[in-house]
Amino acid sequence: MLRFFGFRLLRAAITIVMVVTFAFVVLRLSGDPALLIMSVDAPPEAVEAFRIAWGLDEPLWVQYFKYFAAIFEGDLGRSMRDGRPALTLVLERIPTTLALTIPALMIKLCIGIPAGITAALHRNSLLDRMVMALAVAGFTIPSFVLGLLLVLLFAVQLGWLPSGGQESWRHAILPVITLGVGGAAVLARFTRSAMLEVLGQPYIRTASAKGVPWQAVVWGHALPNAAIPTVTIVGFMVGSLIAGAVVVESVFSWPGVGRLLVVAVANRDLAVVQCILLLVAMTMVTANLVVDLLYGALDPRLRSAPTSAPKGAAA
Amino acid sequence: MSDTALAATAVARRFRLPPPLVVFALGWVGLMLATAFLADVIAPYSYTALDLRNRLAPPIGFGGVMIHPLGTDELGRDVFSRLIYSIRMSLLIAFGATLIGAALGTALGFLAAHFRGLVEQAVMALVDFSASIPFLILALSVLAFFGNSLTLFICLLGLHAWERYARIARGLAISAGAQGYAAAVRQLGATPWRIYGRHVLPNIASTLIVSMTLAFPEIILLESGLSFLGLGVQPPETSLGSMVGYGREYLTRAPWILLSPAAVIVLTTFSVSVLGDWLRDRLDPTLR
Repeated sequence: MLRFFGFRLLRAAITIVMVVTFAFVVLRLSGDPALLIMSVDAPPEAVEAFRIAWGLDEPLWVQYFKYFAAIFEGDLGRSMRDGRPALTLVLERIPTTLALTIPALMIKLCIGIPAGITAALHRNSLLDRMVMALAVAGFTIPSFVLGLLLVLLFAVQLGWLPSGGQESWRHAILPVITLGVGGAAVLARFTRSAMLEVLGQPYIRTASAKGVPWQAVVWGHALPNAAIPTVTIVGFMVGSLIAGAVVVESVFSWPGVGRLLVVAVANRDLAVVQCILLLVAMTMVTANLVVDLLYGALDPRLRSAPTSAPKGAAA
Repeated sequence: MSDTALAATAVARRFRLPPPLVVFALGWVGLMLATAFLADVIAPYSYTALDLRNRLAPPIGFGGVMIHPLGTDELGRDVFSRLIYSIRMSLLIAFGATLIGAALGTALGFLAAHFRGLVEQAVMALVDFSASIPFLILALSVLAFFGNSLTLFICLLGLHAWERYARIARGLAISAGAQGYAAAVRQLGATPWRIYGRHVLPNIASTLIVSMTLAFPEIILLESGLSFLGLGVQPPETSLGSMVGYGREYLTRAPWILLSPAAVIVLTTFSVSVLGDWLRDRLDPTLR
C-alpha cells in the first residue's frame, strides 16, 4: 500500500514539475518579457535596468530555478493590469466560481449516477432510451448554446429569471442548470456503460444463480465494481471545479475565475493566466491522486501493480 | 458501446442498410461537406457584404424579405451567406486539427513502441501531462502567451486528443510487434519506416479512424467555444462559434442571428458522433 501511494505521489509531482516547466518555456518563448512590459521606445538603459532587476540577464537555467523557487514561495507575479499579486486576484474569485460549480456538481451526481444505473438495470426500456437520448443531447449541445437558449426562454420570453450578473441566488439558477445538465448527461452515459459491463460479468450470474436476491446483487456486487470507472470521471469533474465554468461564466457574466481567465487572455495579462494554469493543474493532479487512492480502496487488486489507471474521460 | 446501436447494427448487417439515424447523419455530414466545398458558388453574398437597407431583417416566415432567407444582422450582413462561410471555416479547422492530432499522436505512439525504455517513459509522461490539464485552459494559456492567428489556432486545436492516439498507437504497435507479421517483415530486412508505415499502420488504421470521428465533434465544440469567447477565429473571418458569440449581443432583438449557427453546431456534432459510434461498432477490432 505504501509503495502504491509513493508511486502515485511521484507521478503527481512529476506532472506538476512539467506544468511549471511548460509555463516557464511558453513564457520565455513568447518573447522578451522586458520588451513586452516596457514600451517599444523605452531607452535601452531602462530596458537593461529592468532585465537586471528581474534577473533576466542571468543564464536560463538560473532563471528556471529561481522561477521554481518563487512559485513554491507562493510568488506568482503581479497582474499587469492593476499591479496586485496575481495569486490574490485569482483566490478572491474562487468562492464565486465554487458557488456555481459545487451546486452543479451536486446536480451531476444526483441526476447522472441514478439515471445511468436505472437505465442499465432496465436496459432497452423506454426509460433507458430516454436517458440515452438525453445523454447524447447533453453531449452534443455546447454549453454556450444551452445557456443562451435557457436565457432566451426563461429570461427573455418568460421573464422569470435574470439573464446575467451575480446579485442574488436567483442569478445562479440558470448557470448552475446549464453546467449541471451537460455534466449529468455525460455521467449518466458513463455510469450506464460501466454498469452494463459489470452486469454482463460471470460473477453476477453466479450470484443470481446461487439465490442472492437481485437487490443484494445490485448493491453488493454490481455497484462497487461499476464504481471504479465512474470514480474516474467524477474525479475529473471535481478537479475541474475551479476552471470548469469558463464558457458558462462568460455567457452569464458571472465574475468567477473563468471570467477572469478570459479577460486576462484577451489582455495578455500573463501573470494571471499563468497563476490560473498552475492552480488548475494542481487541483487536477490532486483530484487524480485522490482518485488513484480511491481505486486502491475500491479494488484491492490495483494496490500492488502500478499500472496506469483506466482513463475514461475520453470516448 | 450503446447496445441499442449494437442491436441496430446487427439488423443493418443482415439487411446491408445502415439504421435511419445513421443515414440521416451521413446525409447531414454530406450536406455540410458540400456546403464547405461549394461555399463560393452557393453563398448569395460575400460574408462581409453589407445591406444597410435591410439591417436586422428577420428570416422568411417571420416577416423577412426574400433576398435574405435567414435574415440579416446589425450591419445588414446576410445570415445565410455568413452561415455557409462559417461552416467552411469550422469544418476546415476541425479537419486540420483532427489530422494534426492523429498524425502527431500516432507518430509519438510509434516512437514509444519502437524505442521503449526512456523514450517510452518520456512520451507517457507527456501523455500524463496533457491528461492532467483541461484542454480549454491549456489552449487559453497558449493563446494568451502567443497571441492568435489561424495557423496557430489550428495547430493548437491539433494538440487536442493527441494523447489518445498516442496511447492507442503505442498499445497496438507493441502488440503488433509481438505478432508474426511485423517480426517477419523485420527479418526480411525492412526499415522501421517501412514496418510502421506499410505494415503496422494499415493494420491499426480502423481503430485510429474511429478515434478521429470521436475527436472531430469535440474539436468543433472546442473551436466554437473559443470563438464564442472571442478568442478563436478573429473577425472579419467568421466561424459557427463566433457567429453565436456575435448574435448573443442581439439575443432579445434578433435571435435568428444566433439560432441558425447554433442549430448547425448541434446537428453537426450530433451527426459525426452518431457516425463515429456506428463506425466503431462496425470497424473497431478491439470490440469484437
